[in-house]
Amino acid sequence: MKLSWKLFFITTPIFILFLTVFGSWMLQESFQESLNQEVERCMVENQMFQNSYELTFHSLSEQQREQTSVQRVVESFYKKQKNGGNARIYSLRGEVLYQQNSLQVANRIREALDEENNVGYEIVRQQDHVYVVVLARSSFDVFVETIRNITAVFENRTAMYFRYRTAALAVTILTGGLILLVLFLVMRNMEKLSSATRQFAMGQYDTRVVIRSSDEIGRLAEDFNWMADAMKVQMERLEGEARRQEEFTAAFAHELKTPLTSIIGYADTIRQMELTQEETDMCADYIYRQGKRLQSLSYKLLDMTMTDRRDFDYRPLSAPEFLEEIEKTVRKALEEKQLVLELQAEKGMIYGDQELLSSVFINLIDNARKASAPGGIIRVTGAAAPGGYFIVVEDQGEGIPKEEVSKITEAFYMVDKSRSRKEGGAGLGLALCRKILELHGAGWKIESAVGKGTKVTVQFGVWENSGSRARRNRRERKRSR
Amino acid sequence: MIKILIVEDDEPIANLIRMNLVKAGYQCETAMDGEEAADKIEAGSFDLILLDIMLPKLNGYEVLEYARAVNIPVIFLSAMGEVQQKVKGLKLGAEDYITKPFEIAELLARVETVLRRYQKTERKLQLLNIEIDTDSHTVLQDGRTVELTNKEYDLLLLFFRNKNRALYRETIYESVWGGEYSGTGRTVDLHVQRLKKKLGLEEHIVAIYKVGYRLVV
Repeated sequence: MKLSWKLFFITTPIFILFLTVFGSWMLQESFQESLNQEVERCMVENQMFQNSYELTFHSLSEQQREQTSVQRVVESFYKKQKNGGNARIYSLRGEVLYQQNSLQVANRIREALDEENNVGYEIVRQQDHVYVVVLARSSFDVFVETIRNITAVFENRTAMYFRYRTAALAVTILTGGLILLVLFLVMRNMEKLSSATRQFAMGQYDTRVVIRSSDEIGRLAEDFNWMADAMKVQMERLEGEARRQEEFTAAFAHELKTPLTSIIGYADTIRQMELTQEETDMCADYIYRQGKRLQSLSYKLLDMTMTDRRDFDYRPLSAPEFLEEIEKTVRKALEEKQLVLELQAEKGMIYGDQELLSSVFINLIDNARKASAPGGIIRVTGAAAPGGYFIVVEDQGEGIPKEEVSKITEAFYMVDKSRSRKEGGAGLGLALCRKILELHGAGWKIESAVGKGTKVTVQFGVWENSGSRARRNRRERKRSR
Repeated sequence: MIKILIVEDDEPIANLIRMNLVKAGYQCETAMDGEEAADKIEAGSFDLILLDIMLPKLNGYEVLEYARAVNIPVIFLSAMGEVQQKVKGLKLGAEDYITKPFEIAELLARVETVLRRYQKTERKLQLLNIEIDTDSHTVLQDGRTVELTNKEYDLLLLFFRNKNRALYRETIYESVWGGEYSGTGRTVDLHVQRLKKKLGLEEHIVAIYKVGYRLVV
């Protein structure tokens, strides 16, 4: 059973029960009150009548009392009333000495009266009417009886009951309907929430709930939407990560299969064909060189995974010394291609792992070497600035097309695949550089124009800060793992 | 002579394919990127194109359009081995899809299958004093018909198409008989012996220790 029906079937009977009990009690109280009033009034009337009679009777002389009938006495002080009541005087033997009209109401009060208790009353139902009868024993040896018609009080009670029942029914229906309405409104929102949750669970991550209400359910809906947003962001992040991972794997597989194809193919050729010595040498040379290519790929991949794991040796480095060290490493390779390296470095400090940072700049200079034509100039400049220390690697080589600049830091990306392979690249260099620089909290900027050359600017923070930033970076990375 | 265009940006692979195709008796040209390939397709008439997918400038799918415009069959040659990629390549109209790394024998067999489908293989193969007419399924030696069983005919054709190439027993078995080679049966050897005797090829079909046979011309 639905919750709204449950609530409805619990609240409505309680409401009806309460109305009935409380209403009956109220009506009964009010009826009792009017009844008492009527009795009281009748008593007072009786008392007044009796007093008047006694007073009048008392004022008469003995003789007068003998001669005058009770009828006379009464008439002298009492005028007939029209309201259906009746006053009557009985003798002790029960003879009627006076009566206002002929209305007789049978009662048994007289039997209950005695010396001490000389007034009594009774409520009598007779011929569709209800009367209150009061009987008092006067000191002049008569009984004085007064009667009041109180049918109206009873009728009133019945009418009141009827009116109350009608009103109670109406109120019950009204409240019941109202409760149902409210419950259904609330439950409709709940239903909305519930179906949104189901949809969300089934993979429609764009599902949101629209509930304009400030109650708890409205808040729950807001929370749901908030959660959905958070989940969506998370999901997109994961999807992006998975996609990047997939792209990386695909690119990696491609880079792996290309040299493998040559190695397997040439070996197969040697195995199956009768070749001249020259041809065999050529095949062997290809196998050797492609094997080397696989080796360098595996080293670079190893480097890349290593940056994820190893502990770094962070220390302040003198920038000019650091750059001179790099120049020594790359000099031979540059001379082979008749390239000139112009190094200018201002005094300054950078903070980081010398080995890792060296590999970044060796990589950048190596890229410059590959892009440059023989006889070209590669400029490496170190400059201290208020914001930190800048190292610029600049070449006058063939440059990178504008639309490719943003992609070149992706693993395995090569602007000109055939050329960079000839130069022995695997497309991992810049991805590795980016990773290392991120670890050091350093930024970089690549500017390039086709035919004019490429300029890479690496910015290190002021070294104290940069150090703490790098450390903080590491801490955060550890925590996030 | 059949002309094949090899489109491959990796020079060692391009050279490998060319070397093997030339030895199998095809005429080859190579293109190192998509643009060069498109230019060559428009300039010359090729019978078949072996096409890499990840290429500089124009990718393989784009080059395929040029090839289809002049109705040249294309075999994709790619390191991307996922089913979706294969399906995409085949749906776009490639005749076949070979994933790297591949076996040379497989490459040659697929090249030949496609060429046969396009009826571009030479109908008459001639070696030594033997001529095979692939249309009528007949073998002539010195102008006289030689009766061969179906298996013997297939075997001869295999040797002719792979002259000077060592054929492994398993390769022979799989391409003539079909199915898995158990490695123990003498079927291949028996049929090769009979073929040698029938055509007097004792000196030309050489057994290679532990490998199989080679037709030396």
